[in-house]
Amino acid sequence: MIEKILATVFFPGAIFILAVSLFYEWVDRKLYARFQNRVGPHLAGPFGLFQPIADLIKLLSKEDIVPMATDRFLFTLTPILAPALILFACMFLPVAGPSGIISFEGDLIAVIALLSIYTITVYLAGEGSNNRFASVGAVRAAVQLLGYEIPLTLSLLSVALAAGSLSIRGIVEAQAERGLWFIAGIQAIGFAIFIIASQAEMERIPFDIPEAEQEIVAGWEVEYSGKRLALFRLSKDLELFLLSGLGAAVFLGGPIGPVIPGLEPMLYTIYFILKSIIVLAIFTLVRALFARLRIDQMVSFSWRYLMPPAMILIILTEVIM
Amino acid sequence: MNFEVPIGPQHPIHVEPLMLRLKVEGELIVDADVDVSYIHRGIEKALELRPYIQGLYLVERICGICNAAQSLCYCLNVEQLLGKEAPPRARYLRIVVEELSRIHSHLLWLGHYLHTLGFETLFMYFWRDRERVMDMLELITGNRVTTAYNTIGGVRRDLPPGAEQKLRRTLDYIEERVRYYEKVIDSEPTILARTQRVGILKPGDAVRMGVTGPHLRASGIKHDVRLDDPYSGHDEIPFNVITWDTCDCYARVKVRLRETSECVNMIRYALDHMPSGDYRLKIPPFFKAPPGESLSRVEAPRGELVHYSISDGGDRPYRYRVRTPTLANLLSVVEMLRSRGDYEVYIADVPAILGGIDPCICCSARILITDEAKKRRMITTLDDIIRFSRGRRVERR
Repeated sequence: MIEKILATVFFPGAIFILAVSLFYEWVDRKLYARFQNRVGPHLAGPFGLFQPIADLIKLLSKEDIVPMATDRFLFTLTPILAPALILFACMFLPVAGPSGIISFEGDLIAVIALLSIYTITVYLAGEGSNNRFASVGAVRAAVQLLGYEIPLTLSLLSVALAAGSLSIRGIVEAQAERGLWFIAGIQAIGFAIFIIASQAEMERIPFDIPEAEQEIVAGWEVEYSGKRLALFRLSKDLELFLLSGLGAAVFLGGPIGPVIPGLEPMLYTIYFILKSIIVLAIFTLVRALFARLRIDQMVSFSWRYLMPPAMILIILTEVIM
Repeated sequence: MNFEVPIGPQHPIHVEPLMLRLKVEGELIVDADVDVSYIHRGIEKALELRPYIQGLYLVERICGICNAAQSLCYCLNVEQLLGKEAPPRARYLRIVVEELSRIHSHLLWLGHYLHTLGFETLFMYFWRDRERVMDMLELITGNRVTTAYNTIGGVRRDLPPGAEQKLRRTLDYIEERVRYYEKVIDSEPTILARTQRVGILKPGDAVRMGVTGPHLRASGIKHDVRLDDPYSGHDEIPFNVITWDTCDCYARVKVRLRETSECVNMIRYALDHMPSGDYRLKIPPFFKAPPGESLSRVEAPRGELVHYSISDGGDRPYRYRVRTPTLANLLSVVEMLRSRGDYEVYIADVPAILGGIDPCICCSARILITDEAKKRRMITTLDDIIRFSRGRRVERR
């Protein structure tokens, strides 16, 4: 029992996940800067490694402002709920072994459901702040959900179908048994769909429509400042870790790799982080390559170009199996 | 969901105070209203209180980016009052600096425009290349931003030794990069999706609203002060007036990209055919201009810039008036923002449309507003303005 609690709190649980997701934010920012011919964070710590945590501490220490017109309940609830939901979803990731801290048959569906609840939290956060820009951003977030959620789910489900299991553990073990990652085959299409849909889930270019700075200032998070904003920023980092980790687990074989006996948990963790950084680098590359789409263009894009391949993929997977 | 979205006076798309009141239904804009009068700087009044030579340095500060065009327009205006003309070498040097600053302005605009569309990477690339042009401006004029190059009767200094070689190298680099960027922009689906068929301004509407500059040329109308009224030896230099007839935001990007390479060719020609001789007339720093009126026009990077002055024979202008291109172009923004029929404008298009005219609000805020809603109109005559600004001296010659 005590082991279980320690695993949940320290490794590979909450503290580890928070530290790694802040590190991922650094990787993302540094890569993005290098793609743009900039230096990127370089002041706090070696190579600016501590910049994300410095930003977080700075935001946490700021004055806490609750504008009078806001819905106080939602304004307090959503910043706590958002990182909690994503952190909970991160517990399903197989970091130090083929199964996560929590694992059951159907946990893939649970992760997808948590991601959708997160988007609804975002909607509530925007509507609760009672600001014109925030309402527009919140509605955009909800409309965007209609676009990307189904392709994202279908791309993950087709892998589940191929593995014959609805649990992340089952998918990881199926790849270990086959000796081949799911990306090396027909599921590569699913991986591409997953990357694009995740970009929309994380509200990053070209789908950073709900928080488009140049159009609606900061969208749904415009009224949030200080520690509330810090918590939303943190939940974005956690989401980055969750989705790149999910991509690595489902398509790139998860933590499984050649091991030296006795060192499995450590090596598994290293493999998992390396693989998810590959997925993260693809996320960053996509972010550096495009302009922002309009919301109507985004929805029609995902129904025209993401849905049909996702449907065909699921049928093909069923036929091949 | 029907409400008013205020874009401004403070908003991330433009650092300058501009108020756009948008009436929206969901994401669709049904009506728009524009107000620029947040930053009245009193530059015209300040010009009337200073000797001509001091006005030169003030007029450059109307706009940081088109400072070369502003000071050129001022110098042409005062030279016209004095009945003098700059020597040929000065005219060519003025063209070199004017076109260089046009390149820098267009690259700045292109980068900023892509930033407003959310394309951060190309924004960084454009501004990196712009830095090379800034270095060249520094090499030739001694200053990076506010060049202070033009002076009454010529230019302040000659081309420094060795500058021509470096300038030619930079021009080659810029030409190659612009060609590359044109390829990128033409093949990038997200940019095309955000600019094509967005912010359509038909040629007839453009003329009716007095639109100028690249914005007008993007509506397919061949109009350029350099061609229509060659003010600084532009009749001796061959160049093409770039037009594009799709009338949308994409056309504005294309026109400015093509103009940048056209500027490169103009500078090359000017360097090849640089006349020898003096680069400035000897004019004493303090002088009295003969009584009269004078109007000068310059094709600034953003469009047609007009300076008008009245002299009463003193050592400072009696009245000075500046009409900046942004003021002429702003009216068309309201027209482009109104959805009508199949032409639908979304909140997401506001940065694309407003950015498309290359707004520079601080240059423009010197107008009086008529308030239609309150049925209040303020008609102000020139005499009224002079009475406001000078107290008793109402009589005109």
